Amino acid sequence: MKNILKTKELGIGAILLLVCIIITLINPVFLTADNLADVLKANAVLGILAVGMTLIIITGGIDVSVAAVTSAVAVAIGHLMLYLPDHPVSLVVVFAAAVFAGTLLGMINGFFIVKFSIPPIVVTLGTLSIISGALLFITNGNYMSGANFPEVFTAFSKYEIFGISILIYILLFFSLITWGILKYTVIGRSIYAFGGNSVSAVRVGISMKKVQYFIYGYMGFLAGIAAVTQTAYIRAVDPNGLLGFELTVIAAVVIGGASILGGNGSIAGTLLGTLLLGVMQNGLILARVDSYWQNLVTGTVIILAVSYDHLQKKRIDAQTAQIEVK
Amino acid sequence: MNHFLEMRHISKTFPGVKALHDVQLLIKPGEVHALIGENGAGKSTLMKILAGVLQPDDGAEIKLDGEAAAIEKPLDAAEKGISIIYQDLSLFPNLSVAENICIGKTFGRSLFSRVNWKTVRETAKKAMAEVGVKLDLNTPAERLSIAKQQMVAIARAIAFQSKLIVMDEPTSALSNTEIEMLYRIIENLKAQGIAIIFISHKLNELFKVADSFTVLRDGNYIGTYESSEINEDKLIALMVGRELVKEKYEKHPTGDSLLEVKCLSKRGNFKNVSFTLKSGEIVGITGLVGSGRTELVQAVFGLNPPDEGEIVLYGKPYKPVSAEKSVKLGIAYVPENRQREGVVLKQSLTNNMTITCLEKLKYRIGLIDFSQEKRLAEYYMESLDIRPRIPEMSAEQLSGGNQQKVVLAKWMAIHPRILIIDEPTNGIDVGAKSEIHRLLRNLAKEGMGIIMVSSELPEILNVSDRILVMRHGRIHGEFSAASATQEMIMSVAFKGKEDEKAESLQNA
Repeated sequence: MKNILKTKELGIGAILLLVCIIITLINPVFLTADNLADVLKANAVLGILAVGMTLIIITGGIDVSVAAVTSAVAVAIGHLMLYLPDHPVSLVVVFAAAVFAGTLLGMINGFFIVKFSIPPIVVTLGTLSIISGALLFITNGNYMSGANFPEVFTAFSKYEIFGISILIYILLFFSLITWGILKYTVIGRSIYAFGGNSVSAVRVGISMKKVQYFIYGYMGFLAGIAAVTQTAYIRAVDPNGLLGFELTVIAAVVIGGASILGGNGSIAGTLLGTLLLGVMQNGLILARVDSYWQNLVTGTVIILAVSYDHLQKKRIDAQTAQIEVK
Repeated sequence: MNHFLEMRHISKTFPGVKALHDVQLLIKPGEVHALIGENGAGKSTLMKILAGVLQPDDGAEIKLDGEAAAIEKPLDAAEKGISIIYQDLSLFPNLSVAENICIGKTFGRSLFSRVNWKTVRETAKKAMAEVGVKLDLNTPAERLSIAKQQMVAIARAIAFQSKLIVMDEPTSALSNTEIEMLYRIIENLKAQGIAIIFISHKLNELFKVADSFTVLRDGNYIGTYESSEINEDKLIALMVGRELVKEKYEKHPTGDSLLEVKCLSKRGNFKNVSFTLKSGEIVGITGLVGSGRTELVQAVFGLNPPDEGEIVLYGKPYKPVSAEKSVKLGIAYVPENRQREGVVLKQSLTNNMTITCLEKLKYRIGLIDFSQEKRLAEYYMESLDIRPRIPEMSAEQLSGGNQQKVVLAKWMAIHPRILIIDEPTNGIDVGAKSEIHRLLRNLAKEGMGIIMVSSELPEILNVSDRILVMRHGRIHGEFSAASATQEMIMSVAFKGKEDEKAESLQNA
């Protein structure tokens, strides 16, 4: 499996490199340190959510409520921050509250998926509707300015280590953790097993229920982290800012080589997929392409990436078959 | 000798059905024990009880190593040294060989415990060594042939430190050489004191491996026999509850030529294949799995367009490009994998049978005439004796033999002139088998031309009029059924490598 994943990731990496070269040729500004750091920072939220989505997609599930959950948590911490004093502990409180709220919402998804065996897409479509509806009702769609947030939060959002935004470190940190979970824990291997053959997984004694609670709960947890990151990035709360963003998240994972039918996927691939989307968007801006065209390009890339993947798989399958027939 | 496993007074009642009635099964350590019976005799129910998937009715007694044991869930069975290798092998296609072997036990039970990759690799390596096969431990299971996947499944059972391994139809997807290899592995396991329960419909192969037999019929325990004290005919009689007369089918005159295949080739599949099919004739094609039989008939049907060669259909040249076109011209194809390619499992029997001829069941405005559809379904259920006779039932609830009849009914509804059927009785029990054979003979008698691909020599010899033997994509022998013997066919199908070389030189 490693070999296939390696070639898969290598393929995405090559495309990424190619896109980078083309953009640099069109507009050399792309290759400046500032611009690259901006691209990373702008896509930290996408990356964090895509990392969580990777686990779900590996099991063959899906969560279309992530963007709504992230927005809901962002609104919650936005309101919370109005009452918090300007003290470092406030930061801890914000993170704790965000993670708690996110995990809770994720667990609600998990509960319906596990308890009533409802397909994940149906459950999360439901929660997506409920959460966005409730958000609209509560906020009236109103934007919350960051001017009233505690000073310490603003400082945090501007904080840099070696000239790199803290938001990028957050993404890297949680990517690393998630990679470790996938590679070095029983639950990580169970996630792959579940996606590969759920019937066999039950036969060897893997608890599907626990795995599903974990992945949807963890997705919620990361949505909490993403909510803090998003609020720090725009220094405001926009309840409609992430409308439809779940599709971009799923796109990043799929471009990263995960099979939407489950079984395959990796954190490295997902990060590359995220970068590819981010770089292309940045490139289109730098090339002064109308922003309306961006979705069109994204869609094309998804279809190309996935077709390439399937062709590759078909070729390998054909090879195996030939050997058997002779 | 003490028994490793003792199951006594096992009964299992499902709502409305008594699946098992006071059955017993005694297994000695290190023996190969064949569990046989027709489909529906209760073998799988009994194995599910052993695996902890089902619970027996009260009064059951299960002992392991002489001590009462409770097997309440699949984990209990695994922990007590019982491994089940299901027909589908239960592997994870996306995981590596090493992971497939170690998942479950070596990985640890707690979801948050750490995976020690070094232990995983070592355990997998050791288990594969015990199986006696070298495989790259990092290869994902989906890249392995079925035979190798099976070895991984056996290695998993070894890594679980099993003392009893249940193999459900382990040879159904293997070629003869691979089956030999499996037998060697089984000998090896026996030598280590591991007992094996072997479930198979192929009685002749059971006599090669099994030390003893337990026979079930209609959920009842019939008896346990040492392999030295019983033979195939007696076993069949015990299984079906009557002496099964080997039917001799009357050969009847054949008519016009329906199909002529001339020098058909397809790269990597088959080469220079020629044969003819007349109406009223059954042509049997046999050979080892992977000899190109299935690819050849799929080429004729249009699923696998050939590179070169000619086909003459009903006296006119024909290019097989799509299944749709072939069906229109009166060719029907019943694939080997009934469940995946033959029946729509979730659909009703009626829907399954009428799907080929909906065109004819339409009112003029394009809606389907349900009463006519129902009549047609009932007609075929009656004439093919499909049981139970409930047209609304979904196909997945039927036994293999009855599913196959449904597939046949579906094609008979369009009155094909040519029927291509691949492994017609794979996984079908003895009684239903002879019914299918009789059905095929009757269809031929009515003038249909039938091409039957089969690995089972008795079936090939008994049902066909003419026999073609394939090896490495070529037809290497043609026999008339009257004069052919199993030995003649086997020697052609198996010819050694030396002959092969000589032949290829001649051909060059």
